[in-house]
Amino acid sequence: MSALATYRDDGPLAALLGRLGAAIPLWPAALVTIGLLPAAVVVALEGDGASEGLAAACAAWLVVLGGLSRGRPLDDPLRWMVPSLLRLGEYGTIIWLCAIAGGAAPAGAFALLAVAAFRQYDLVYRLRTRGATPPPWTAAVSLGWEGRIVLTWILLAADLLPGGLYVAAGILAVVLAGESIHSWTSSLRVDAPAVYEDEEDEAA
Amino acid sequence: MSPPPAPQPQTTAIVLVAAATDEGTAAALLRWEETTILRRLLDQLATLAIARVHVLTRPGFADAVDAELAAFTGVPAELHVTADVAADLREIADVAAHRGDTAPGTLVIVNGDVVTHREALAGLLADPRVTTGVLSTGGRTGRPFTFRIRSRRGRVVGAGSPYHYCHHTTGGFLGVLKIAPSERRLVATACEELAPLVADPPASWLEELEHKEIRWRLSLARTQLLEGDDAPRGPHDGEAGLPRVDPSESIDVAVLDAVELPEERLAELRRRLAAGREDASALVLVGMVRAGAPIGNSYLRELFWARPLSEADVAHAREEILLYDEDKVLLDSAVKGTDGFFTTFFVSPYSRYIARWAARHGLTPNQVTTFSLFLGILSAAAFATGERWGLIAGAVLLQLAFTFDCVDGQLARYTRQFSKLGAWLDSVFDRAKEYVVFAGLAIGASRTGDPVWVLAGCALMLQTIRHTFDFSFAAAAHQTISATQPPPVAQSWDSLSKPPHPLAPRPAGAATRAPDGEPLPLARRAAAGALATWRALDRLGPTIWLKRIVAFPIGERFAAISITAAIWSAHTTFVVLLAWGGFAGLYALAGRLLRSIAR
Repeated sequence: MSALATYRDDGPLAALLGRLGAAIPLWPAALVTIGLLPAAVVVALEGDGASEGLAAACAAWLVVLGGLSRGRPLDDPLRWMVPSLLRLGEYGTIIWLCAIAGGAAPAGAFALLAVAAFRQYDLVYRLRTRGATPPPWTAAVSLGWEGRIVLTWILLAADLLPGGLYVAAGILAVVLAGESIHSWTSSLRVDAPAVYEDEEDEAA
Repeated sequence: MSPPPAPQPQTTAIVLVAAATDEGTAAALLRWEETTILRRLLDQLATLAIARVHVLTRPGFADAVDAELAAFTGVPAELHVTADVAADLREIADVAAHRGDTAPGTLVIVNGDVVTHREALAGLLADPRVTTGVLSTGGRTGRPFTFRIRSRRGRVVGAGSPYHYCHHTTGGFLGVLKIAPSERRLVATACEELAPLVADPPASWLEELEHKEIRWRLSLARTQLLEGDDAPRGPHDGEAGLPRVDPSESIDVAVLDAVELPEERLAELRRRLAAGREDASALVLVGMVRAGAPIGNSYLRELFWARPLSEADVAHAREEILLYDEDKVLLDSAVKGTDGFFTTFFVSPYSRYIARWAARHGLTPNQVTTFSLFLGILSAAAFATGERWGLIAGAVLLQLAFTFDCVDGQLARYTRQFSKLGAWLDSVFDRAKEYVVFAGLAIGASRTGDPVWVLAGCALMLQTIRHTFDFSFAAAAHQTISATQPPPVAQSWDSLSKPPHPLAPRPAGAATRAPDGEPLPLARRAAAGALATWRALDRLGPTIWLKRIVAFPIGERFAAISITAAIWSAHTTFVVLLAWGGFAGLYALAGRLLRSIAR
């Protein structure tokens, strides 16, 4: 799997949808952008006053389009936009759903996003420092970007915000941090990246 | 009975003693203080975990080199007598293929006449992150007796040799090459392919050698023309030296005809040509690049380096090297050149001394990294009180945490304690610190009745998206580089089309045409124009800092958090982070979109 495909942080649902998306003649960045459009319009017009049903429809559209884009090859000139667009979709939707729920729910969103961020930075830094990716089961357990959107919507519909998010974030934090520590302490032989590049991120 | 221990992979060095002085002796055997240049280098290598040395030399130098090796007891050294460069390459292939070697380790190829600091060699040989790489120098200015290379994103993707033209060079290869065990087979194959070509060079190779001579002669002529007889013995490598001559630049033939070079410069030109044609290391590098091997860079930094090929050059080098304070250079170059404005001017000036103090007290970079995270968590806890004193204490603690965040990297570079875990911890803890502080600020704000969790979440989202753009753009660039098939070694040039004769006038309007001569489509031309302006802005001195401030790197972010939280409130902090970060994100995005379209 290429680095960019790893950075997508897809879960099982996106992997499934990706099989259907392989034949769509669009760049993955275009598919994800189309997926983001309805949510962007509704957030701009109604903000956190949008109805739960409308928000759910926008989130579902994003999950489907983003998932389909998984099946498209990452070889076009704008392929580097895909992981960031998916982050925008995931983080933005989760914050939005929790803002609609109101009360203390946004604090729960922050907790889940912090864990998602740990997962996604770990994907990048592990690949950069060791040329390794976490085992596939972690993608299933952490649900992927699309799974976390669905989870947040289910908790919203079940009126379990923010408690449900705290529980989910807590479990995920323990499992993912545990797996990271295990990977660093257990593997004596670690692969080196092909060429080490000193971090020169403009925003480091 | 326990099984016998597996043999430890050992590092082997191949030292090339081929360049000659004007008197026809080996340049590596020129006297250096109480010893010779070669012995000095071998002594340096012996302290850098080199277990075995193969010295390759010409028949005429064999006796003298043999006598020199007899006096060297550092590590086992073996002499190989090679008649020419083709024979050098066959010997290198033989050693690289590690016949009879049970546990092949890293292979090092080095020019025997290189004079530099041990630390410069250590920077390449003792850095575990660079498994295959070259000692190199960046910038447009070349060095005498070196060939130029082209690097992209830390990877060497083009290299020159006496017979190979390298376009758009970005630096120089300084005659030290490190090869990972996994690449030895590739090197052996590349050398076997090169040997017959060097023995009987193809016409295009000979043509390039002629062109190199013209370019070198032109560079000397320009120096002579501009500086007269008093011209300093500056670094001019003839391809982009002082004064600058871009290989692709058109050159007035009149310059070459008008200037009569003094004998001293003509001798230099002859030495250069002779040394260039004996330079097997440059050919090995070209062979590796053309075979698609991943090759990293270890930069010389501000340390001294020279290939003195005459008594006068040695005397000059001995004067020069005394002017270098090795510890100061190391400490200065422990500071990253790509750091932001705040880090460079408000933190690094003193954090480097904390780094040296930590080094002298035996602290490891990972200990400092962990301490920095601890301070970051304390800072978040102080912010979480929501009280004014808490916000001020949090701001101070965050700045302390950031100082130690700079110290860990500087300590690692200063003491060369690089580790993969260290790099991972440093990066992950940096992010953790920032987001824990966001949480602390939001908790504090909630306690004072101003819930800002949505803003905090948005700030986290924006920062993560900006980082993801950086990571993904780099990953896409690496993908492009790896997918580019370099031309075979038999081809002398590595650009799309054959480079023009160095004395040929350059065709006008070349920038608006595709390589096949067709005018570019309007959209791509417009993007290329905008991109050129964007890059021109980059090169202006003060704009570099302005641009780095606008990019809102970590130092500026932490400073903004501390100042806004201490004076105003968490709410202000998040608004500033979102506004500044949002602008920085859009600015970077625009530049990258232009680059993607113009390509």
